[in-house]
Amino acid sequence: MKELTLELALKMLEAAERWAKDIAGFSCSIAVVDKAGAVIAVHRMDGAAMATTDIAIEKAWTAVAFKMPTLMGSRWLDPRNMGKLMGDHAMGMIGRGKGRLCFIPGGIPVTDEENEVIGAIGCSGVPSGVGDISDTSVSQAGVTALYE
Amino acid sequence: MEMNLGLAKTILSTAVSKAKETGKVCSIAIVDEKGWLVALHRMDGAPIPTAEIARDKAWTAATFRIPSAEVSQFGDPKVPGYGFNVQNWNERLTTIPGGMPILNEGRLIGAIGVCSETPKEDVALCKKVIEEIGQRT
Repeated sequence: MKELTLELALKMLEAAERWAKDIAGFSCSIAVVDKAGAVIAVHRMDGAAMATTDIAIEKAWTAVAFKMPTLMGSRWLDPRNMGKLMGDHAMGMIGRGKGRLCFIPGGIPVTDEENEVIGAIGCSGVPSGVGDISDTSVSQAGVTALYE
Repeated sequence: MEMNLGLAKTILSTAVSKAKETGKVCSIAIVDEKGWLVALHRMDGAPIPTAEIARDKAWTAATFRIPSAEVSQFGDPKVPGYGFNVQNWNERLTTIPGGMPILNEGRLIGAIGVCSETPKEDVALCKKVIEEIGQRT
């Protein structure tokens, strides 16, 4: 698997949607981007808020751009971690990336066999803090389907 | 019939198979009746900006309730009420052909936007897809 195709992206979306609907019980938007951070496919589930499509795309873009889950970046900006992790420089992240940088948990990069980033999946619309159910877990369901 | 993800997926798979028949790659966007994105697919090999342009076309068709190509009439100095800046009114509005409203029993339920090589092909694909799914534009 060298690059994400539309077919693979739809496979990921299908699995993530099923997880969001059947297990999480929330409607959300899910986006898959390629290694350039460009959108391959976006789906907004029935009932999900309208703005979630753009946030899902931004999360996926950020996951590719930083080659790490957006959950990691959200830790840098957590006030409880100020002065740790990134020192006092974390707030410099805010407003970067031409307005596309989105360090809200829910974006996960996808890697190939050589551990190179070939794309990412992003989810938005699931309230976090409900046990194991979050945007990240919906995205993870999509990533898992890709490697099956 | 309302616009939902199931219908959007059906339209998209129809559009992708129709595009493959002609041997072209494109991006296709489906928006609801308010212009909000429901689903977007960029086919393998389609240039990156096509995705956003397809979305712009669909937004324009849904909010103006006419094909995106016809929006240019509002910027024509010869018609009454001239003064509407059709090129730079906002960052979404586009007058490039390839966006078509989707109607069900005369009521707008959403719009499709297609971006491939030429606007002519985009319009042809839009019409084919809408005909295929049994709606009219």
